[in-house]
Amino acid sequence: MNLSKKDEDSGDLGVFYHLDKTTVLQEARVFNETPIVPRKCRLLLTKIIYLLYLGEPMATTEATELFFSVTKLFQSKDIGLRQMVYLVIKELSTIAEDVIMVTSSLMKDMQPKSEVIYRANAIRALCKITDASMLPSVERFLKAAIVDKTPSISSAALVSSYHLFPTGKDVIKRWANEVNEAIISKPASLVGTASSYLTSFSSGGSSYNTPPSTSNITQYHALGLLYLIRQHDRMAVTKLIQQLAGSRSSFGSSNSVLRNSFAYCLLIRYAAKILDEDPNSRQQLYDLLEGWLRHKSDIVNFEAAKAICNIKDVTVKELYPAINVLQLFLSSPKFTLRFAAIRTLNKLAMNHPTAVQPCNLDMENLITDQNRSIATFAITTLLKTGNEASVDRLMKQISGFMSEISDEFKVIVVDAIRSLCLKFPSKQVVMLNFLSGVLRDEGGYEFKRAVVEAIFDLIKFIPESKEAALAHLCEFIEDCEFTKLSVRVLHLLGVEGPKTATPTKYIRYIYNRVILESAIVRAAAVSALAKFGVSAEDPEVKKSIKVLLTRCLDDNDDEVRDRAILYLKLLDDEERAEKYIKDDSTYSLSVLEKQLVQYVSNPEEYEKPFDLSSVPKITKAQAEAENLRPRGLDLGTTQTIGVSSSAIIGINNSTVVATSRDATPTPGSDQQQSYAQQLENILEIAAFGPVFKSSIKPIDLTESETEYAVSCIKHIFKEHIVFQFNINNTLSDQLLENLTIVMQPESDDGSLVEEFGIPAPKLPYDQPGTAYVAFRRINPEECTLGSFSNTLKFVVKDCDPSTGEHDEEGYEDEYMVEDVEIVTGDYILPTYLSDFQSSWDEIGEDGQVVEIFALTAAKSLKASCSTLIELLGMCPVENTETPQSTTVHTLLLSGTFLGGHKVLAKNRMTFAPSTGVTMELSVRSISEEISRTVIGAVV
Amino acid sequence: MAALIKSLLDWLRSLFFKTELELTLVGLQNSGKTTLVNVIASGQFSEDMIPTVGFNMRKVVKGNVTMKLWDIGGQPRFRSMWERYCRGVNAIVFVLDSADYEKLDAARTELRSLLEKPQLANIPVLVLGNKNDLEGAMSVEKIIEEMNLKTINNREVSCYSISAKKQVNIDITLQWLIKKGKGSKNTI
Repeated sequence: MNLSKKDEDSGDLGVFYHLDKTTVLQEARVFNETPIVPRKCRLLLTKIIYLLYLGEPMATTEATELFFSVTKLFQSKDIGLRQMVYLVIKELSTIAEDVIMVTSSLMKDMQPKSEVIYRANAIRALCKITDASMLPSVERFLKAAIVDKTPSISSAALVSSYHLFPTGKDVIKRWANEVNEAIISKPASLVGTASSYLTSFSSGGSSYNTPPSTSNITQYHALGLLYLIRQHDRMAVTKLIQQLAGSRSSFGSSNSVLRNSFAYCLLIRYAAKILDEDPNSRQQLYDLLEGWLRHKSDIVNFEAAKAICNIKDVTVKELYPAINVLQLFLSSPKFTLRFAAIRTLNKLAMNHPTAVQPCNLDMENLITDQNRSIATFAITTLLKTGNEASVDRLMKQISGFMSEISDEFKVIVVDAIRSLCLKFPSKQVVMLNFLSGVLRDEGGYEFKRAVVEAIFDLIKFIPESKEAALAHLCEFIEDCEFTKLSVRVLHLLGVEGPKTATPTKYIRYIYNRVILESAIVRAAAVSALAKFGVSAEDPEVKKSIKVLLTRCLDDNDDEVRDRAILYLKLLDDEERAEKYIKDDSTYSLSVLEKQLVQYVSNPEEYEKPFDLSSVPKITKAQAEAENLRPRGLDLGTTQTIGVSSSAIIGINNSTVVATSRDATPTPGSDQQQSYAQQLENILEIAAFGPVFKSSIKPIDLTESETEYAVSCIKHIFKEHIVFQFNINNTLSDQLLENLTIVMQPESDDGSLVEEFGIPAPKLPYDQPGTAYVAFRRINPEECTLGSFSNTLKFVVKDCDPSTGEHDEEGYEDEYMVEDVEIVTGDYILPTYLSDFQSSWDEIGEDGQVVEIFALTAAKSLKASCSTLIELLGMCPVENTETPQSTTVHTLLLSGTFLGGHKVLAKNRMTFAPSTGVTMELSVRSISEEISRTVIGAVV
Repeated sequence: MAALIKSLLDWLRSLFFKTELELTLVGLQNSGKTTLVNVIASGQFSEDMIPTVGFNMRKVVKGNVTMKLWDIGGQPRFRSMWERYCRGVNAIVFVLDSADYEKLDAARTELRSLLEKPQLANIPVLVLGNKNDLEGAMSVEKIIEEMNLKTINNREVSCYSISAKKQVNIDITLQWLIKKGKGSKNTI
């Protein structure tokens, strides 16, 4: 018996080789035969699924034909066959037409009186073939299935509902009570359900027994669905978390509602999200998270620890228990736990190295871990947390296994060393030796680039290392297979070389490149040589450079020759040489791009040449500073940081700067550009000229849960103001048409005249629309302030939420939203400044206004800094937006006032708990009037 | 009365010997197809039925007869699929609500277009005027006339007036169907 069975199996396996779709579809005739042979049909269905999994394309007609043949198999009572039928239906549901045909049959199979094994499978198949319009008719059965005592059925119904949720939101939202019941219901007594699992295999005659589930996974599914239903209601989610978390004493005991670890993990994630959004709930939720650190399940402990580590502005005290848990995991025998813990600690060490320090001992043990991923994370974490004394030892250990890890991990290690160099400048010799060592090793481009950039950083931030580092780089380009890196090193040599004590020694290396390398590298080398020629003090050097450049005139590459000729000419003309070789300033690329696009899209302007002088120039230092700023943002130090780095500064990603590596454009700048783009598409508004400033973030004019969500963005033009209203209709049974905004100025002094309004023509459910209102400022020179009350006017048409069809006739309606204010800050553009002090002195005291404010209500220096930045709409410079001390701070701000006048503000502030914040705000600009206006924004 | 019918049914059942037959029930929505299947299968009438979405498959074994009943939904979206389930069956049963005059036109058109399908040629058709217990229900003659049954001449057509609720004429319906089973068996 056994032997024959085996033969049959091996025979079956062979069946799946060289399967052909056409033959299989032909064979599908057996489905229509009477009587049905379950074994044959099952095999054929398996073949079909096998083909589908292989990605065999199936035309709609073929699939439909096959689908209807398969439906004939519902007449067979064979369990195995029926299960295969369910599987095939699920696979075909997306290809075949009219799959809805099996709805009734599946509904019959999911009735309480049919076999348990059918029911769960039928529910899962049903959710695949049903759509939003059918949902109401199956609602009753799904609701009953959700609260079924058998876990497999309940899970099937919950998971199906989860997948149907995007299409059938409104129906599924009504099931919250059932879902809740599924979470809190106790598992049915195991003895009771076991018998219902006893089903007989009609073909074999043997009975088999599915063991009842004890995992309580249903809770996980139910919680997921319940959250989906309530996710937009923060109060409800908070309540849910409290309800399920239970009292603290019951953790791990059998009294707690949740018995599934995954469900706890979900709950922790939801809690973490709320905690992130709502600072008021912090203490309460933190206590919960902290409690979960002592749950009996590892995965729950880990999830809670991770959540705590990810809290914004987490304090060391709050971190302590979480780190304790992770520390325990570090010595766990399980790979996964060790990996999870070390990875979390590694991430945490970036912002809180001291908090991770207590784990140093455990992490050092992990350096020799047999799992290389764990070892690499351990090392890089140690590099971040370690103190100066341990650096040498660590470096030795790293060198030991550097050759054993993949490039990807090497990059992580190199990055860690780079940050370490900057932290302990005195250790630069050791690190530089290490870096130059690995630079000689085998490795791909990414890895080499990381090393070269690390050395660039060393040169930039640790002057003592410069000579040695440059020597290493010179050696590196002697034998470098990556053109890009050679070019970058040559450029750096050109910039840094002339400033060293003996520039001549680099010239030899560079000229060697001219002789030995490809055209691209040769061209770069020529440029580098020219820099020496211009910068070197010694006339002898200059002369030698000229000789070398003259030799390059015979080069066989055009670019190299051209450069050589250009530089030879420039070397004789000092004034020009200054301008073209030494000056490293560049145009603000984002502004340049925008103006070019504007120029190209406007044929009338072709008559005159493009005006480059209108594009602001920025120095390299400025560009670098810009590039560094987003990193500060990533660290989550502050949110109000000049997110609106505005069009004027822009960002320069392409300059070859060592630090420009993972620079991302500041969000604000992109935002401004995209607003500008939108407005340019509207003819009437485009006529106003370029936008001076758009508000940084939209101002919400309604609560988030109201019928219509409205927010406003102010765009300031030279002589106009445009209010952009973004409206979202959250009522599924309404269609709004011809929506206009009526703006009523509070005081009608005639300083603002309404020009026109652009209505939003149509607002269907959940599709945001935009309406505009434009005003002209009578005195464009002044910054006109004021407040407006706003009313939406529109035509409502009732519509059917499920089909979207709406009534022909509508009725007019109005909706009041909150007021919009124009403040002084709207007229100030935040602009970045690299050197505040010199600009400050340059403007001088003539237009200075100083005032002293006492803010008794302010809670901290940080809070008042953020408020002030927001009020003035100016850009904080020199990292002064985050106070280092809690008692004294000086905030430096820079901006451009309407009309392009530079405005600077210096704000010296002190804080005492009893008196609040006292600040002395000085504003400088070209005229006292402007300064007074600016300071007026604070009053 | 019920006992009488039951004894009559039993007697009828004893007449068949090992016959297998496959039937498809079609007809407009709410004409009583699913109810009729339930009555045939279990002899029980239930008032509250939900519309059939797609089809129901019932296998009824009575004595030596096995009946496979394909009960197809009557809503407009399913009518195009009737044909797929009518191919190769022993008989097509077209159920009609004999008290619903408004849908009579639709019923006539649907039956006509179904019978025009070449794949279904020669399959016998039984038209059942259900719900004859309701007031104003049409008589057999009236149904034959209204449905233009006389004009169908390429196949066997029969028409009965029945009530699934009161179990009127169910017996003769079964009898007719079983004859088809036997008849077709002979021809195979």
